[in-house]
Amino acid sequence: MASADGGAYSYSLTVFSPSGKLVQIEHALAAVAQGTTSLGIKATNGIVIATEKKSSSILIDDSVIEKVAIICPNIGIVYSGMGPDFRILVTKARKSAQAYWKIYGEYPPTRVLTQEIAGVMQQATQSGGVRPYGVSLLVAGWDNHRGPTLYQVDPSGSFWAWKASAIGKNMINAKTFLEKRYNDDISLEDAIHTALLTLKEGFEGQMTEKTIEIGVVTVPTPEELEQGNIGGETGRPKPAFRKLSEEEVRDYLAL
Amino acid sequence: MSIMSHNGGSVIAMVGKDCVAIASDLRLGNEAMGISSNFQRIFPVSDRIYLGLPGLATDVATLREKFRFRVNMYTIKEEREIKPETFAHLVSSTLYEHRFGPYFIEPVMAGISKTPTGGVKPFIAATDLIGCLNFAKDFVVAGTASDKLYGVAEGLWEPDLEPEDLFETISQTLLNAVDRDAFSGWGALVHVITKDKVITRTLKGRMD
Amino acid sequence: MPGSMVAMTQPVQQSFNPYTENGGTILAIAGSDFSVIAGDTRQSEGYSIQTRYAPKVFRLTDKAVLAVNGFAADGNMFVKKVKQRLEWYRHAHAKDMPIRAIARLIQTMLYARRFFPYYVYNILGGIEEDGTGAVYSFDPVGSYERETCRAAGAAQSLVQPFLDNQIYFKNQTPAAGTQFPQHLPLTSVLPLVIDSFTSATERHIEVGDGLEIYVVVASGSTSLQGLQNLRGVQEVTGTTDGERVFVIRRELKKD
Repeated sequence: MASADGGAYSYSLTVFSPSGKLVQIEHALAAVAQGTTSLGIKATNGIVIATEKKSSSILIDDSVIEKVAIICPNIGIVYSGMGPDFRILVTKARKSAQAYWKIYGEYPPTRVLTQEIAGVMQQATQSGGVRPYGVSLLVAGWDNHRGPTLYQVDPSGSFWAWKASAIGKNMINAKTFLEKRYNDDISLEDAIHTALLTLKEGFEGQMTEKTIEIGVVTVPTPEELEQGNIGGETGRPKPAFRKLSEEEVRDYLAL
Repeated sequence: MSIMSHNGGSVIAMVGKDCVAIASDLRLGNEAMGISSNFQRIFPVSDRIYLGLPGLATDVATLREKFRFRVNMYTIKEEREIKPETFAHLVSSTLYEHRFGPYFIEPVMAGISKTPTGGVKPFIAATDLIGCLNFAKDFVVAGTASDKLYGVAEGLWEPDLEPEDLFETISQTLLNAVDRDAFSGWGALVHVITKDKVITRTLKGRMD
Repeated sequence: MPGSMVAMTQPVQQSFNPYTENGGTILAIAGSDFSVIAGDTRQSEGYSIQTRYAPKVFRLTDKAVLAVNGFAADGNMFVKKVKQRLEWYRHAHAKDMPIRAIARLIQTMLYARRFFPYYVYNILGGIEEDGTGAVYSFDPVGSYERETCRAAGAAQSLVQPFLDNQIYFKNQTPAAGTQFPQHLPLTSVLPLVIDSFTSATERHIEVGDGLEIYVVVASGSTSLQGLQNLRGVQEVTGTTDGERVFVIRRELKKD
């Protein structure tokens, strides 16, 4: 394991230690483990992703902080770890989604976008003059091919699909909690409540619509799909991913 | 002489009831001189999508390989077959990459896709040489006999043709159009794509 | 300045182009004892429509109708001169000139202007002295041929191959033991003419607005029945007991 000063294999360039470990990546994971808890649950008819949004001072205007980000109409992501690194990845992911749209006239499937982000994160473990991204991501999206899918991406660039997962400070407890609560035919509404309960487990202080953020994927109905261009006069597809407004979050918390 | 008509050749695609057809002539020429009467310019992209590439013959070969490459990469990366609509956009964006030094090809494509409820949706499209898409509901044409093809197709085509009637309609349209075009003809090839099979037939035509 | 001296001494070439192209399409089909001569009525120059009603088809005699297409000014002048020559013929011979002779006259008149041609394609339709339907088509300098059907003008390339297929049965094989007719009945020809023009109107910007179909019928022809209950038919025959001339007017799309 890494010593307090980082040890001999802790250079700016990620280098293997004789034991086969990449210590920089372990440090990055440590940064993630210090980040606020985020989680995601896949339901039969959608996905919920949620996170704590805690600010270090009451003087900070937390209405401008955004931890759940929309990448394209069908995909959203949340993170635990370093905020600035996340924002870089969000920008890259959005550009990647638009580049895909320019080629194929449709937004990427969740898996393809996840692979793209994972590729970016992997590059940072192999390039000179950079450090790995200090974030883990939960990518939630819907596409024609695979339906609703939830992925986790780590600083190493590895990724997995989950039915439910948690990242950040309280991930161990949260995962244990989710394992107990999860079943294969959970509905989106139940999943949202489970997400709130899970967050509440390790929450310090008051959990309000100001201190959490929620994003949901809603699976389009067969009728909406048949029509193709859902969203009426704008001609834009109705987004499968959206963030819940503060009012909606408040209502869920009240239940 | 224009580059677009240097080698000659024409392609047409038509929509039928739960089926589509795509057809082309077989001539390869060097301006007025005929070179080959067995030049393939329609290629399968997947087992339900066909792509026709009328225009400059050297670009037919180049684009055919380019699309083969890109569709294979798509299939592997996305672990699924490309949809006709998506392929049309791929064709469009690929051609537009060369906006200021284009391939001299006006692609025509035909395929059938599945709807979310499991139905069958016929699809045809064509683009100009820089990738401007034309999704027509009836028929699309391209090549040196395009104006003739428009005229005959406009007169012969009708909605909801069954595969065999669609075959007859597209064949008659192509044959009679290329007979009035010096740069197209020398035999023809027709593909009719249905839900469960592709019917491919070679047509005899005037050889003058 | 030497440059301006050169410009002043250099001769400046002036040019005047006496021709223009006024669009439109004409077509004629011969039956066994009738002839159909049709043309649209749009007259355009470039992308501008000069008028939506400029006739291109003219009754010369009771057995001959002439369609002119190309440069409208030349066309109108040419028809005027042909009519004048036919008038002189009537005064000299006390009868109408036979269509075969009109065809030869047109050739002579066109070739007379071999080096400053009438910029028009002519199609002459009518009834031959033996009572058969006739179509003669000309190039601008008088080369001509008797045919069964011919299209000319802006949409010639759209219409002619359609006619090859539907009139000459090109690329079609008759059912075993049968053969294709040499001439189609009027009831088949008229829909083909209308379809040809609606098709051309659909795909060619210079074709549209109105359609005038002249039908010349040999005396005692059974084709007269086909004209009886037709919408918008009008008789324009000049004399009694001979060939009869009808005109059918139809609207075409104006966009």
